[in-house]
Formats: sequence, C-alpha cells, structure tokens
Amino acid sequence: MSEGVGVDNLIELDYVKVDDGQRRSTAHSAKLDLRVQHVSKSFQSKNGTVYVLEDINLEISQGEFVCLVGPSGCGKSTLMNIVAGLEQADSGDVWANGRRIQGAGPDRVVIFQEAALFPWLNVIKNVEFGLKLKGISGRERRTIALEYLKMVHLTKFQNSHIHELSGGMKQRVAIARALAMNPEMLLMDEPFSALDAQTRWILHYELQNIWMKTKKTILFVTHNIREAVCLADRVFILSTSPGKIKKEFFIDLPRPRDDNDVNVAEYSTRIMKELKTEIDKVVKCEMDADSCVECDIKCTTVEAAKTDIGGGI
Amino acid sequence: MLAGFWQLLFWLDIWPEYVLPSPVSVGKTLAHGVRDQSLLIGVAISMKRIAIGYGISLGVGVFAGLLIGRFRIFEDTLGSLISGLQTLPTICWLPLSLLWFGLNDKAIIFLVFMGAVLSIATGTDSGVKNVPPLYIRAAKTMGAKRWKLYLEVIIPAALPHIIIGMKQGWSFAWRSLMAGELLIVCLGLGHLLMLGRELNDMSQVIAVMLIIILIGILVDRLFFFQSRKTYPRTLGPG
Ligand SMILES: Nc1ncnc2c1ncn2[C@@H]1O[C@H](COP(=O)(O)OP(=O)(O)OP(=O)(O)O)[C@@H](O)[C@H]1O
Ligand SMILES: [Mg+2]
Repeated sequence: MSEGVGVDNLIELDYVKVDDGQRRSTAHSAKLDLRVQHVSKSFQSKNGTVYVLEDINLEISQGEFVCLVGPSGCGKSTLMNIVAGLEQADSGDVWANGRRIQGAGPDRVVIFQEAALFPWLNVIKNVEFGLKLKGISGRERRTIALEYLKMVHLTKFQNSHIHELSGGMKQRVAIARALAMNPEMLLMDEPFSALDAQTRWILHYELQNIWMKTKKTILFVTHNIREAVCLADRVFILSTSPGKIKKEFFIDLPRPRDDNDVNVAEYSTRIMKELKTEIDKVVKCEMDADSCVECDIKCTTVEAAKTDIGGGI
Repeated sequence: MLAGFWQLLFWLDIWPEYVLPSPVSVGKTLAHGVRDQSLLIGVAISMKRIAIGYGISLGVGVFAGLLIGRFRIFEDTLGSLISGLQTLPTICWLPLSLLWFGLNDKAIIFLVFMGAVLSIATGTDSGVKNVPPLYIRAAKTMGAKRWKLYLEVIIPAALPHIIIGMKQGWSFAWRSLMAGELLIVCLGLGHLLMLGRELNDMSQVIAVMLIIILIGILVDRLFFFQSRKTYPRTLGPG
C-alpha cells in the first residue's frame, strides 16, 4: 500500500464501503493500543436527545500518530473524553492496551485546548504533579521533570509562575507534564488551536520530534486538515450530527514535516476535495437553521474555511 | 503622630483624667501590667482560647465547605442551614453555650468556634464552586482520585476563597471572644477590660484596648498578608 512517497499514494478508505474484515487487514501488524468498538453517545438537552456519536470504531496501534478531524460540534471532544475515561459512552467499549477502560487513568493523559496548568504551582512543580500522585520520591521527580522540560526547551523557566508564560510555553509545559507520566498514549484535544500560526508551526515541529523520540501513541483532535496532514500517520474524518467516521486517509510523507511543505499542502487539498460533499452538507444544514444571527456567523466561518485550505472544514 | 495628638488633647484639659487618661499613664499601666505579668497572662489566656476555637472551626469549616461545594445533598441541607445561621449575631449563641458548657472556658471557645466556622465554610464552599472544571479533569487524567484530588487540586485551587473566609472568620472569632470574655468572668483580655471598668481605672481600659487592636492588626498582617503575597493568582485557567 505504500510503494513510495508522495501525493500519488494518498490512500483513502471509504468507511461506508469497507467491511470489518477488510479494514483490519489494511491496517497494522503492530500491537494494538487503542480499540474503540461501536461507541455511541447522546446527550439530553432541553430540545430532546442529541445524538452526538454513532457507532464509532477505531483501532490504533502502538506508536501510531492518529488525527481526528471534523467540523465544530461533531463530537470530537466527546469521543476524546470517552477514550480518556472522563465521560461514559451510552453503548460500546473502549479497550486500551488490552484492558477495558474504566474511568480516567494516568495511562491516557489528556492535553486540553487550554493548557490546564495549575496556577498555584510553578512550572517544574506542575510537571512533577502526576509523578507526585504516583508516589515517586522528591529527588527522582525533579530529575524526570527536568528531563522532559528539557525536551520542550523550557528548563530556563522551571521556577517561573504559570502566568508568566506565553500560550505556546504553557502548552509545552502541558506536554512535558503529560510525557513525564510516561503514559501509554497521549490524547490531545485541539491543543494548538488557540495559538498563533508561528507558534503552532514551531510546536508542530517539536511535537513530531518528541513523537519520534518517545514513540508514544498519539490521538490528536483538530478541525484543521493541514495540521492533521502535517502531524499524522492516519487521519480520520468525522461527519457531523451524528458524528460518524466518514473516511480514513493514510499520510505517507517523510518526517519531520513542515506545515508549508508542498506535499502537505497537496494532501490537504485532495482531502478537502474529498470532503467537499460533507462541507456542502454542513453549509446546507446550517442554512436551514432557524436562528438567523447564528446562521450568519456559521456561514461566514464556513465560507472562510472554504477559501483557506488549511482552515476548518 | 497619633500619640502626640492624644497628648495634646490631654494637655488641653478638656476632659477630666478619668475620661481621657494621658498617654504617659497608659504607658505606665502597660509597663506595670507586663511587669507583674497580669497583662501577659491575659493575652496568653485569650490567645489560647482563640487558637483552640479557631483551629477547630478551621477544620470543621473547611470540611463542611468541601461537602457543600461538591455534593448536592449537603448543599441543600447543610448549605441552607449555614446561610440561615449566618444572620444570627454570634453573641446570641452565648445563652445556649452557657447552658451546654457552663460558666467556663469551653463556653467561650464554643463562641469563638461559632464566630468563625460559618464564614470559613461559606468561603470554602464558594472556592470549591469556582474551581475550573478543567483543573479537575486534567488532574483526573493524571491519576488523581478521591482525597488526593481534594488535597492536591480542589483545596489549592479554592485557597484564595478559603483565605477570604478565614480572614472574615478570624475577625468574627476575635469579636466574639472579646464579647464572651466581657460577659463571662473568667480571665482573659476581655475580663481585664471589665476589671478596668470596675476599678474605674481608665488607663487600664485604654491599655487593654490598645493591646486588642494591636493583636488584631498583627494577626492580620502576619498570617493573611503573607499568604496573599506568596500566592499569586492568574486570571482564568492557566
Ligand atoms: N455535557 C453536554 N450536554 C449536552 N450536550 C453536549 C454536552 N457536551 C457536548 N454536547 C453536544 O455534543 C456535541 C459535540 O460536542 P463536542 O464538544 O464533542 O464537539 P467538538 O467536535 O469537540 O467541537 P469543537 O470542534 O467545537 O470542539 C455538540 O453539539 C454539543 O452541543
Ligand atoms: Mg472540542
């Protein structure tokens, strides 16, 4: 399936057509790390039940970097929370490393959109937080924390307060804090979406390097196709209401990749084209929405996304 | 400066000595009180009472606040009970306290406890309710569970509010201690104050009042100012 490197090898699987057996065979001989089976989730709201996720199936092997892409509100964060154990699925199972997950655990650390660092601790103490919970002694904690702070190039700021850091630095501390726990996998929920393009570019580069060094399994949520192509081995596209896995793309490009690399750009364009139908569906769906103001806002954002390839869907 | 103005007023001789004693005579009374240790003993006894009462109310108040802040059942029961009791001036607990404990230290300590516990509980409660859920979720994914979640995340995150409650609780406790000591005769600073009145010794009254103010300021500066300084806050989640 991967004879060479380049755009020509864009491999896509249409989930509607591919059956279970075939899907498994296309994938990976490596050890499975995460298995999401028939997960569905709905929320009760004032206007009745909202079906957010419907029959989600995912298989991610150890050391893989997988991105989930989908329009806003399609249930990416919900799926992430279910995998993290912060929320419970209505039906279906999640297996992590061969065990059925029950609640949150330090083997699956989440990095959120806001860094969620603790302002009452300084930088190094934040990185040590999970280690302290694990009961690791003070001196060893410090050594490990320093090692990971070094990995994100922030040793100089080890004694700084959190409010003294920039957004990008906070996110890097959050990454160090997660890595320090030596988790089985990292769950990242739009961790860079609040950052400016320049900082994001740097962090894409750093994250790839860290991933190559540590070989952690990473599940990364974004609504930015360019970001997904830049980072992932595989990209899953979710459709909206209810959230379903629509397509799967294999990205076969050498690393570390650059946001502005031609191949990355071309991959993104092709995926965008594939998704044109889905976008149209979203636009149409939102045009039908009865709230005018909301509709206007949503339409403009969708328009913007269409002109800018790297934007959302 | 203030002392100079006071001395000036005294020299102007508007009021007789037993209404406004001179700073010098107050100073003498202070020195005498320190020398024969009556003042020091008074301070020590009062401080012991408030330390015990405030200490207990700190533990109980924070615990109750955590329960109210985290669990709906306690919010509906304990929470509404506390907000109801808060309208009651602490000194109104005196008769009940006397009936329960008799004319002794325990009654005063109970008064101090009642003075502080409500403020600390409500402070903790609002602190807990204001902990960003993101902190709790982040801590959970890092393996924080049960009491560790409280100890490592919820209490530190709620600390600014808890300290506000503690500060308010302290001033209520201090006031109810004095009120209690004035009304129940068994040593302490309040008792010395009352003794001054009974002996018509105005300089003793003022000397004791000065000490009460001084302790109030000292405690405020020493404990609460420092804790504010060593705990910088950012706005919003970090
Ligand atoms: N606790 C909840 N109660 C009710 N509805 C919820 C709840 N959490 C999420 N939802 C609904 O579920 C849907 C999916 O939410 P989710 O946060 O997973 O979307 P998302 O794909 O992460 O979007 P975004 O890209 O904007 O972060 C939304 O329509 C939202 O309104
Ligand atoms: Mg989200």
